[in-house]
Amino acid sequence: MRILIVEDEPTLRQQLQRSLAAAGYVTDAADNGRDALHLGQEEAFDAAVLDLGLPLLDGLSVLRQWRAAGRNLPVLILTARGEWHERVAGIDAGADDYLPKPFHMEELLARLRALIRRAGGQAANELVCGPLVLDTRSARAHLDGQPLTLTSHEFRVLAYLLHRRGEVVSRAELSEHIYSYDSDRDSNTIEVFVARLRKKLPPEMIETVRGLGYRLP
Amino acid sequence: MKIAFGSLRQRLLLGTLAWIIGTIGVTGWLLNSLFARHLERQFYTELRTHLNQLAGNLEFNADGQAVLSRPLSDPRFDRPYSGLYWQVDRLGSGDQPPVSGILRSRSLWDQALIPPRDLPADGDIHRHRVDGPDAKPVLLIEQVQHSLDTPAPPVRLMVAADANLLAEPQRDFRGMSLAALGLLAVGLVLAAIMQVFSGLAPLKKLRQELALLRDGRQTTLKRPYPSEVQPAVDELNAVLVKNAEFVDRARTQAGNLAHAVKTPLAIMANACASPHDRDAGPLADIVRAQVQLARQQIDHHLARARAAAAAQLSGSRCRVRPALEGVLRVMQRLYAERQLQIDIAACPESLIFRGEAQDLQEMLGNLLDNAGKWSAGRILISAGQSGSQLCIDIDDNGPGIAANQRDQLLQRGQRGDEEAPGSGLGLGIVDDLARLYGGRLELQNAPLGGLRARLWLPAGREEEGSFSA
Repeated sequence: MRILIVEDEPTLRQQLQRSLAAAGYVTDAADNGRDALHLGQEEAFDAAVLDLGLPLLDGLSVLRQWRAAGRNLPVLILTARGEWHERVAGIDAGADDYLPKPFHMEELLARLRALIRRAGGQAANELVCGPLVLDTRSARAHLDGQPLTLTSHEFRVLAYLLHRRGEVVSRAELSEHIYSYDSDRDSNTIEVFVARLRKKLPPEMIETVRGLGYRLP
Repeated sequence: MKIAFGSLRQRLLLGTLAWIIGTIGVTGWLLNSLFARHLERQFYTELRTHLNQLAGNLEFNADGQAVLSRPLSDPRFDRPYSGLYWQVDRLGSGDQPPVSGILRSRSLWDQALIPPRDLPADGDIHRHRVDGPDAKPVLLIEQVQHSLDTPAPPVRLMVAADANLLAEPQRDFRGMSLAALGLLAVGLVLAAIMQVFSGLAPLKKLRQELALLRDGRQTTLKRPYPSEVQPAVDELNAVLVKNAEFVDRARTQAGNLAHAVKTPLAIMANACASPHDRDAGPLADIVRAQVQLARQQIDHHLARARAAAAAQLSGSRCRVRPALEGVLRVMQRLYAERQLQIDIAACPESLIFRGEAQDLQEMLGNLLDNAGKWSAGRILISAGQSGSQLCIDIDDNGPGIAANQRDQLLQRGQRGDEEAPGSGLGLGIVDDLARLYGGRLELQNAPLGGLRARLWLPAGREEEGSFSA
């Protein structure tokens, strides 16, 4: 799962990146509205944490332009402006959630999880596929009740496939959602991660749809 | 008509009245004395004519007796007690004693004129007021005449007329002039009163408009005023606009300060909660607690600053329904996980809040947020109007609050600017805001089983004021 963090305060931005990374997300960050607008329109994110008071272009405008361009990723507004008329403006601009500062990081993570889950049509915090259970709260996976040891990349691939369970996910799409903007993307590495996952999971669980991508039943 | 002490109206009226009464009084006095003098001159001129005729007709016969060669022409001398008389006295000289009334008009009948004991010098004419026939006062002129060609003693010639003949026309004139001038005075006073009232009418209008301003039904003075008052009204409007700018700037700055502080607070809170510093121990706890407290303080004082400014500025209106629906959209997002069922039982489109939409949303938002936190799944909203007040009920089906804890929650009766924020439930802020607008928050039992928060706020009317979105 790949998250866009838009926050102009550097310390808070780092804290967010660290906490989100610790929770198993890949993050990209923007410190001004124009970069945020560009990233949100050009890259594939599973959610965005958006500050409102931004240099160059304010957060509400960024959000409105994303929505106008048809980007429907879940957006959580994280702002110092916590008054209710501002919340109304934020929600009406297309935000999915609104968290005023100061905030508890746990609450932010919980709300992000909920947003991503709802966006994928999932109702529970646990993603289940047969004997496989992935808990989005603790970022851990179990197979038949036994904890699975996964690298962060393996976890991201598995989590993304579980979120899109039943759908065919291409390698390109997978790589977009597990790598950040800066990292050196190579869709061939996806095959490596899938191969490693197949060794840890029951065989045939990850189905290969020839020429298209992968699918979890 | 009410005339207050020290009022402009009183000053104008008293000044005008004094002038009217003064000038009319002086005019009346002058007219009367002029006319009286004129009548008097005419009166004595007539007596003089008669006296001259008497002197001309008087002759002394061979015995030295005074006789009239011809009777006087005015017929009134022949009618008894007619009011016009003449008489000739012989004055004493040498051995002859004076004799009163040797000749007299028939009108005197059996009476005589008794002049004072003074004798005019030759050619002089004296005027006297004496009692005449029937003891009626008469005005009399007298003259002494010597016989030129006989040694006869000199005689005194007198002509008199009833004093009433002079006094009566004077009295008539005084009465008529008094009536005429009195009528004039009454007319002038009425005109002055009307002028003062119509002249001061714009001030009354101004006062009414200022009352509208204070009640928040207008933001500036809009009606046209006379050119003498308009400049002052324009100045007042400029001051109002300036004031609004100041308040707006102060509010913006309060907001900016609050928001500027919140991000560092967020960073501190995150720093002491991050997994790496989990063993930071007591220091982290203190920071966490203080950050929480600081946040409550900021929210509390920011809301107060905003609303105090709004309540002062006044003049704004907003419809309740759109504001409520905006807050509900937020609630549905914020509580998407909880699947709350929020229903509006009643909220007519016609409901209007006399205040800022932002403050109404702040109050509704805090109440709904509180209801959402405690609710077991249902929230019911009903809004209505009772007289000049809006009544908005927000009910939940949560555990509710015991009656003896409710007042404590709102910290009723001990609020002030320095007051610390209340329970942290946002109810204190709502109560504060409502009070700044002249309303209040009541906590009751909800029919659903939980808490009913009943918000009373001033209602606005459709036709007045400007609407804020």
